[in-house]
Order: sequence, then C-alpha cells, then structure tokens
Amino acid sequence: MSENVLHIEHLTMRFGGVVAVNDLSMDINKGEIVALIGPNGAGKTTAFNMVTGVYTPTEGKVTLLGKDITGKRPDEITKLGIARTFQNIRLFSSMTVFENVLTARHLRRTSNFLTATFRLNLAEERKMRAETEALLREVGLYELKDEMATSLPYGKQRLLEIARALSTNPSLLLLDEPAAGMNPQETEELGAFIKQIKEKFDLTVFLIEHHMNLVMGISDRIYVIDFGKQIAEGTPAEVQDNPAVIAAYLGVEEESDLPSEEPTEARGAEKGSGLPLEDPRASASAAPPEARGPQKAETRGAEKEVDQ
Amino acid sequence: MWSTVFPYLLSGISVGGQYALIAIGYTMVYGILRLINFAHGDVFMVAGIIMVYMAASGVPLWLCIPLVLLLTALIGFVIERVAYKPLRTAPRMSAMISAIGVSYTLQNLVLYITGGLNQIYPTIPWISDSVTIFGATTKMVTVITPFLTLALVVALVMLINHTKIGMAMRAVSRDFETSQLMGIKINRVISTTFVIGTFLAGVASLLYFTNYTTVIQTSGAMPGLKAFVAAVFGGIGSIPGAVVGAFIIGIAENIIKGLDIILFKAGIVSGPLGLATFSDAFTFALLIIILAVKPTGLFGEKITDKV
Amino acid sequence: MNRKKIDSATIISAVIVLALYVAVFVAEQFIPATSMLFTVLKKGATYALVAVSMNLLNGFTGIFSLGQAGFMLIGAYVYGIFTIPVLSRMDVYQYYNGGLVQFTLPVFIAMILSGLAAALFAFLIGLPVLRLKSDYLAIATLGFAEIIRALFQWDKLGPITNGSNMLRLFPTFNDFNIRGADGQVVVYLSTLVPLLISGVCIGVIILLINSTFGRALRAIKDDEIAAEAMGIRLASHKRLAFCISSFFAGVGGAMLAMYQTTVQAKSFTTAMTYEILLIVVIGGIGSVTGSCISSFLFVACSEWWLRFLDQKQMIGTFEVPLLRNGFRLVVFSIIIMVVVLFFRQGIMGTKELPDLIRGLRGKRAKGGADK
Repeated sequence: MSENVLHIEHLTMRFGGVVAVNDLSMDINKGEIVALIGPNGAGKTTAFNMVTGVYTPTEGKVTLLGKDITGKRPDEITKLGIARTFQNIRLFSSMTVFENVLTARHLRRTSNFLTATFRLNLAEERKMRAETEALLREVGLYELKDEMATSLPYGKQRLLEIARALSTNPSLLLLDEPAAGMNPQETEELGAFIKQIKEKFDLTVFLIEHHMNLVMGISDRIYVIDFGKQIAEGTPAEVQDNPAVIAAYLGVEEESDLPSEEPTEARGAEKGSGLPLEDPRASASAAPPEARGPQKAETRGAEKEVDQ
Repeated sequence: MWSTVFPYLLSGISVGGQYALIAIGYTMVYGILRLINFAHGDVFMVAGIIMVYMAASGVPLWLCIPLVLLLTALIGFVIERVAYKPLRTAPRMSAMISAIGVSYTLQNLVLYITGGLNQIYPTIPWISDSVTIFGATTKMVTVITPFLTLALVVALVMLINHTKIGMAMRAVSRDFETSQLMGIKINRVISTTFVIGTFLAGVASLLYFTNYTTVIQTSGAMPGLKAFVAAVFGGIGSIPGAVVGAFIIGIAENIIKGLDIILFKAGIVSGPLGLATFSDAFTFALLIIILAVKPTGLFGEKITDKV
Repeated sequence: MNRKKIDSATIISAVIVLALYVAVFVAEQFIPATSMLFTVLKKGATYALVAVSMNLLNGFTGIFSLGQAGFMLIGAYVYGIFTIPVLSRMDVYQYYNGGLVQFTLPVFIAMILSGLAAALFAFLIGLPVLRLKSDYLAIATLGFAEIIRALFQWDKLGPITNGSNMLRLFPTFNDFNIRGADGQVVVYLSTLVPLLISGVCIGVIILLINSTFGRALRAIKDDEIAAEAMGIRLASHKRLAFCISSFFAGVGGAMLAMYQTTVQAKSFTTAMTYEILLIVVIGGIGSVTGSCISSFLFVACSEWWLRFLDQKQMIGTFEVPLLRNGFRLVVFSIIIMVVVLFFRQGIMGTKELPDLIRGLRGKRAKGGADK
C-alpha cells in the first residue's frame, strides 16, 4: 500500500433538514486516480466542497497527507496541496489565459505587497512567468495565451481550469465533471490528458464524472454514492457488477432493495437520470451535467453560491 | 426626570413614524429587486417641494394633499421605468449607481428650481395646531403620526396578504425568476411596489415637513438614509421590521439630541458633553453593529438570494 | 516594471504624460496664475487621485465602498492639524485656547501621515465591514463616513479638531511657489507640484494593480470562490485593497485641504462620495486612465466650461431660456444619467492609455504586453 494522500472519515453535511452527504469515509493513495460517481443530487459536489473547505462539514474529518484540514479555509487548503476545478466553469473573466494561470501562482509568492508594488520581486515574478509559460506549453494552451479566457471554446476553457489548478502546485487534484459538455472524442482525449498530467506532475487525482467511459477507462478505484451515502467501492469492474449501483442508476420499484437508508425529502423524480452502466454508448454521448441549479449554503457567515 | 425625557420621547415616536413610512419603500423595493433605492429619500423631498409650489400657486390645500400624493407616486413609477428597468439584467452595482445618479439628478433639479433657498412649507390646518399632552406642548402632527403610520401599515399588510397583487409581490420577492415563469406580470408588480413605496413617502413628507416647516434640496438625504438603516435594522424585506426599526431609530436619535440636558438634570454630568452632535452618527453606528452581529436584522429571514 | 520587455506603447504613454507635465510647467510661468486653467488642474489632480483610489476598490477589487468622503476628511484634518504654523494656532483655535497640538510638521510628512491615518481607520472599520455583501458594504461604509463627520465636529475634540469651526492658515498649493528675497514669485510651481504628487500616487497604484497582488485583487473581483480556491485569502487581500485605497483617499483629502485653503468637517458629505463615484463611472469602472480623464473633465465642466449655463445669456436681444443659477448641475445630471443608462462602459471601459496606443481592441493591457 502506498502513501495515503486523502483520508475522509465519517463525513456528514446537513443543510437544514436535508442530509446531502451522510457518513462518507474514503481513502485515496498516492498516484491513484479515484472517481466519485452517483446519480444527480447524490452529494458528490458537496463532498468536494467539504474537502476543499468551501463547506465546513457538520460532522467528520478530512486529512490531507496526515494533516487534519477539517474546517480550514479554502485558500489554506489550496496552499496545503489540494487544487480543484469547477463543474460550472469559473475562470477569471477579465483576464487572459496567461493571467488566469499566472494568478494561481500568487499563493506561492514570497513577496509582500510593498516589495511587489515597487518591483523588488523581479526575480520571483520572472520565475512565475516562466513557469506559467512552461505549464501552458505542457497543456497545449501556449498558442492561446493572450486570448481572453472566456473567449475560448468550451473544451479549452475546461482545459484552462485544469491548467490553472495545476499552477497552484497541488499534490491532489480534484476535478468536478471535467468532461461535462464534451463530445466523445474530446472526452477520450481528456482521459489521456488526465493520465498524462498525473504522471508529469506527480499527482493524485480525485474526480467526479458522469461519462462512464471516461470513469471506467482511467480510474484505479471508484466510490459510488447515492443519497449522500456510499453504496459501493472498488475497481471499475467490481463497481459495474454491483447490484446496488445498478439499482441506484436505473431506479428500482422497491426502495427496500437499496442498502442505503432513504431520506424522504432528498430527492424525488430524479431517479433514472443517471445512466445504465451496461450501455457505454448512451453514457458517453448523453450524460448531462448535473441538472440541479446552484444551491446556496452558509459558510463561515458569508453567503456563497456553490454548485450542489 | 420624566418631564425632561417625555418631549424627546414624543418627537422620537413621531419622527420614527415618519421614518417608518419612508422605510417601507426601501424595504419593499429591496425585497423585490435587491436594490437599495438611493433616490427614495429624494423623492420624499420632492414631494415636499411639490407641496410648496402647488400651495403657492393657489391650489386649495384640500386639493393639494391628494394631488401631491398622486404626483409623488407617479414620480416613483417614472423613475423605476426610466432608470431601473433598463438595468434589470445588468450587474447589481449598475442599478445602484443609477439610483445614486437619480438622487443626484433630483437634488440638482430642485436646486435649480428653488435657487437653493429654504422653502417654507405651507401650514396644513389642524395637524399644525399646538396641543399639550402630559405637560408637553407639541404639534398635533406629532400625536397623530404614530397612529396614522400604524393604520397605513395595517392596510398595507392586508393588501399584501389578501389581494392578488399582494400575493404576486410576495412571490416575486421570494423568487424573481420562478415567479416570472409562473406568469406573474413582473413589470406590473415592480411598478406597484414603487407606487406604494413612493405614495407612503409622500404621506411621510406631509407629516415630516409640517413638523420641520422648511424644505431644501438636501432635506431628503438624511431622513432617507436613516429610513434605510431602519429597514436594515429591522431586517430588510420585512415590513413590520422596518416599522419597528424606524421607531427605535427615531426615538434613539431624539433621546440623544436631548441627552446632554437629560443627563444634566439627572445630576449625572455637570456640564454639556456635546452629545447631540452624534444624533445622526448614532444611527449609523447602530447600523454597523447590527450588520456585524446579525446581518439579517431583527426580523429578517435568512436571505437565500442569488448573489 | 516586471515585464520581460517594456513595450513601446508603455514608453509612448510615459512620454505623453511627461510632455504634459512640461507643458504645465511652461504654461505656469507665462499664463497669469489667476487663470481658470490652473484651478481646474489643481482640483482635477486632487479628484483624479481620489477617483483612482476609489476605482482600486470598485473597479479592481469589486468592493463597492462609499466611504471615500470619510477617508478624505480624515486626511484633510490630519494635514491641517499638523501643518498650521504654531504662531497661527491661537488664531485658528480661538475657542480652544490655541489647541493641544503645539508643533508643526513638514508638508510632505504631514501628507504621508494623512494617508496613514486614513489607512488606520480603514483597517479598523474593515474588520466588521469587509465581511458584508456588496450593497450592505456600501451602506455600512457610507454610514462610517457619517460617523467620522460627526466625530470630527464633536466639541470635546475641539482642542484637536477645532470642533465645528474650520481649520485654516495651513500651507496651501501656493506655498509651493518659489519666492525671491523680495517676496515676488520667481518660479511658479503651485500647479505642477499637486499634479506631481497626484501623478506619483497614481503611479504607485498602477504598479500595484500590475503586480501579483493586483492580479489577485482582479481575481477576487471576477470570482471570489475561484479566487479562494486558487489560494488567495479573501479577507487579507480585501483588507489590503481597502487600506491602500483609503491611504490615497487620505492623501487626496490633504490635497483637497490645500486646494480649498480651509477645512471643515461638514463639507465632507455623502454627496462628495457620490460625485467621486460618478466620476469613476464616467471614466470607466476599471480604468485608471478613465478616472483621470474623467476627473479633469468633470472639474473643468463644473468650474469652467459649463459656468455659462448658470448665467443669463443674450444672443442679440434674445435671452436664452432656462439659464440661471443651478442649470449647469441639471445639465450635468442629465449627462451622468445618459452615461449610466446608455454608455455603461464610460469613456474608457477597462482600457488604459497604452491600450489606446496599441490600438488593440478587446484585449487587456497586460495581455498584449506579455510578449
């Protein structure tokens, strides 16, 4: 067993009466690609938001490389080595591609505002710029570096989000539906790209994804959650054959067939919006981004809009 | 002691009622559009100016009053259509800047018309008469303001709770987009909100300027800001909250105005502290405290709006 | 500059600015000092600094603050309090027995102190206020400015602030002129120096905006959640922007005191903040160049070019209607509303002078300059 990167213990998140994530525990080891899947509204993004500090978990503990990060601020957690992308792209819209990536290096600065303003940090600034250029070459966005970020085509914007996340020097990369809205060919390329950057940047990858081809193709292990609760864990092959998973995705008449307990208010008609695992064609082409609108939650007194 | 405090308390309740009528306009507009209508205080001032000019041009007072209210409501309607409606889909900052622009425009317009001179407010019979209650001499308007305010608030709450347009207003303030999808005529709801809000500001202007007797282009700025603070204090979006907040602020402000004398007579201090300087500032200190401690205000619901 | 190579557009911009300074210096020696031109340049320089400082918050960090007048007030008072000559203090603080402060600081040290005092207040007020959402923050900062205004008028602070009486007799812009032994002015600098002070301060703000910290601030403006996820600590960066903005608003306040030659707390009203906000909007929220151009235009129009609207004008025997005191402001208001409603980009949008020279459209300054 290699070194543990992320350890999640009994993580629970409640919004009022709704339990979005219920007693979730998982482990991710160094160098792994681990996927978190589940039907719409299963609590996947909520789990991400707890790991990255956007939400403070109601209960439970998150450990990064042996260090407890539960309840820390998002920026602190990013400094400790977790970077993420967003399901609904959140690029800096007033900036170019280059500036987007460069800005994400800000957290590794040693200058303060005075030395930076009066250009006493020239060496560092040059280094930041050189590293940014190198990174952009690496991910194939160098030619587009002076374009406005939001003028890029959709697929490139997703790529830029990944590049920006990489720019923070993470040891763990969280990808929230990186293939959403991509066509099958782009999705395939993305899979290869994720594997490639994992090797190059010595990363561990944790992703949420609906495109089953992608998930099954690149993941070492998969966690499946439904109604906030883990219903399965294992290699792609194991998960595909798990009856509970099939039930969760296809929907079943008898609720008692499910191993998980049903919170009554959590979800109604969304059953079946997930995809049959047996039909890879359908899953590759038609997987919709999560249908639910943005949901609000209270974090440290500030109101934030975060996708559920 | 009581005889020293009572006059201040009385004028506090009175001015509190006037703030309440202005505050309702803020709170309703904010509830629906999430917009601080910075021009609302200036509409209140313009209502005062219209009264001055109308009375001076020989229109009998009994006719002036309804006309002023009508015109004020019309101004509210026009401002919304001209200055806010085009910006409804723009970033919130744009609408707020537009509101500040309207405020600036109204003040400058009145400055131009009046030449920047204090205008004497016409004396409205009966409510301008002096009365003595519990040994304190004051104008009738001081006494009737709280009652009139409460009556109007009750009427308004009934309107909101028991009529179709009131239901539409509640729906829109809950969820703008969804209610639009549900077929609610959003423009009509917003216009109605502005008309009601400015109408009440018109009533407030009748009461307020009868008490203070002069109007100038900046007369609306301070009462406007204070009424807004009252709305925030009570929990923005909540009408009872705005009313309670307004009374608290009105009373506190007037007590502070008299605090030097009250403290002196009570034997606590031996000389003036000049605390009256802070009668306006206190309102804002209260605002900052409430925002820091309980941003949703006294009666505010947790706002789950789209940021 | 932290770019690999400073591009030609930036150099041309610098040359243009330098040429303007030389032109002002020359003009000042030959045109009578009473010319309206100099009034506009002095006041414009002051407003430009304050407008740019406000833009740093509203345009570059996305914090909608309306406390500018309060910070200017602090700056103006600190400047006045510490620069009134000791001999004049008895005159100024006549109701307070000459006041408490019995020493005088050099002008430039007092100006820096003005900025620091404003920044200190900003730091304190920022603790509760910066956590608030956009419109609540606006109203809270506005309220803060009103509190400051009352505080400085408080009789009990009179020995320091002179209560509700005005501060005066401190060094003004005219004291920058170099006089000969006979008291005659040898070299006129009363316009150039304020322009230089303002220029240096704005230069520092531009450097900040283009530094790694400036990028972080813009990231916060664009998307707080993404910025935080990229490791940018929101609270400390917002506080930094708020304090720096207030520092320069404080220096601007000191300049306003010098321009006006007197200071009185009651004139630093909300209306003053609104005026500066409207200048920023006209110039373009997010453009330093825009704020500067708009400041000079605004001041020139209100003090000079549109003055005729306030007086009766005769064309032959025909009296132009509507023209009388206050009409200028009405015209002004209408222009502002037109800009707010129909030209929301303002004069410059988010472009800067070098962008214009480069002629690049739709690209930001730095994007083009990275080559």
